Amino acid sequence: MTLRFAALVAMLFAVAAGALLVGGTTLSPSAIGAALLHPHSGEIATIVWQLRLPRIAIGALVGAALAIAGALLQGLLRNPLVDPYLTGVSAGAAVAIVLSISAGVAAAAVPALGFAAGLATAIAVAALARRGASLDATRLILAGVSLSSLFAAIIALVLTRVQGGGSAPAIVSWLAGTLSGRGWNDLAFAAPYAALGALLAFLSAPALNALRLGDVRAAAVGVDVGRAQWTILASSSLLAASAVTLSGTIGFVGLIVPHVARRMVGSDARYVLAASALLGAALTIVADALSRTLLAPAEIPIGVLLAFIGVPTFLYLYLRDRRTAAA
Amino acid sequence: MIAVRDLDLSVAGQTLLANMSFDIRNGEFVGMLGRNGVGKTTLLRTLAGLRPIESGSVALDSRNIAALSPADRSREIAFVTSDDVFADRLTVREVVAAGRYPHHRWWQWSEEPHDAEAIARALTVVELQQFADREFTTLSSGERQRVWIALALAQEAPVLFLDEPTSHLDLRVAQQILKLLRDQVESGKTVVCVLHDPNEAAAYADRVLLLAGGGILAFEERERALSAELLERAYEVPMEAVTTASGATRIFPRHPA
Repeated sequence: MTLRFAALVAMLFAVAAGALLVGGTTLSPSAIGAALLHPHSGEIATIVWQLRLPRIAIGALVGAALAIAGALLQGLLRNPLVDPYLTGVSAGAAVAIVLSISAGVAAAAVPALGFAAGLATAIAVAALARRGASLDATRLILAGVSLSSLFAAIIALVLTRVQGGGSAPAIVSWLAGTLSGRGWNDLAFAAPYAALGALLAFLSAPALNALRLGDVRAAAVGVDVGRAQWTILASSSLLAASAVTLSGTIGFVGLIVPHVARRMVGSDARYVLAASALLGAALTIVADALSRTLLAPAEIPIGVLLAFIGVPTFLYLYLRDRRTAAA
Repeated sequence: MIAVRDLDLSVAGQTLLANMSFDIRNGEFVGMLGRNGVGKTTLLRTLAGLRPIESGSVALDSRNIAALSPADRSREIAFVTSDDVFADRLTVREVVAAGRYPHHRWWQWSEEPHDAEAIARALTVVELQQFADREFTTLSSGERQRVWIALALAQEAPVLFLDEPTSHLDLRVAQQILKLLRDQVESGKTVVCVLHDPNEAAAYADRVLLLAGGGILAFEERERALSAELLERAYEVPMEAVTTASGATRIFPRHPA
């Protein structure tokens, strides 16, 4: 197990180093190395420190946050098809962001508004799913899906109204998911919430292991089921809202990475959460690097690219499962 | 000792069982019998502290069970249900390891040597040590039942509650499970077990709790509780008693000849 995690960490660093080399300006590894050591040494240092590094760091945070949130919710709801946006976080954030972009709200305020709206939606969904002190999985899914479709309708309405106006491209790029134009400031805003979410996630891992055996068994081994469910929901909402604020709606990381992680490290939630974080970060950094280079100088939205990678991977994993089950 | 006083149980506003007062002694095997829907599972969950108590009290060694924290309670009482589960790719050992939860601090992430010993012991008792790394979903229903019991044993709680651990199992596996529960009692544990077959209770339990008509019909030594007359009242079918070659009494529904 230690070896597998060492390999995952090494892969993450290799991927991050590779992503540093990729971009509009071709830079040699030695030039990048020198720039890393001397942050104020000129133009190359500016490219490395102000453009590439923050983007890699944001990619890592977004990918790790989405993957942890997905692993948490899949475990909590005992449903492998759940993704971190199930609780309405992304739809709520999207509505707020779309409305504020189209209303011309200052760009600096948009992420905070999206973050707040995403969390508010998650709280509303949780309130609808409450049953006594605990959560009802079916009601949570129903509430999340129905609020999300309501918000999607509002977004569609706004988009038809702003067509031809100046804000449509900004809205579409946000909806498709992108890491471009983000910097250290955005990271500094989202990182504390993501860190809190991750801390809660890792503290919940033992309870999550017990909850997967059913609520009655979890209660029988001493899990405070209500408290554990709320903690896990709060954690996944914080993580998803931080990610959405930074990158827009990037799909598939939160759905697929936990599956890949389980294949690598088994089913124990402690390992699944840690492996999901590392894999999610690496996948998002790779996808972002590809999105910048495949059609350079144009950028493919990272959300679109991940869907192209993600859907076939997911289908492959599941179809292969069915074949082995039949064998 | 578990002391139950004036306990009323209701489900969805309807009183199910009323006015129950009884004691369960340390180190005895209590078999709980009664018709479907009479409230066996509800009573068992309430005794195990898994259901809120509306009226009356349940005390474990003179501590009110409702006042115990979940972890404190789970170090004293283990509860086995056969409810099915989406176990994903959990291995047998990972399932059983969940029994160590109440022994860990809230921030504790890793197993200690004592945890590994308790898990290994529990798997040995149910004779599944060679299955530790198997995926739970690949097991038969009898093996799964033994895993659920191992999960409870890993808790190292002195009191063990089981809800129909022998349902859906063939005779041999059912016997194997009842025998291992009996062994737990011999080694000092208290076992309270919902059973669906009076003869299982006759063979393995010390005392039998018969539920019927919204309350306790009888809570007696097994020979007295398992009379044809009491069981007729409990199950509302004609019963007959048969004496086996070894002299033991067994009770069966009287089938048309």
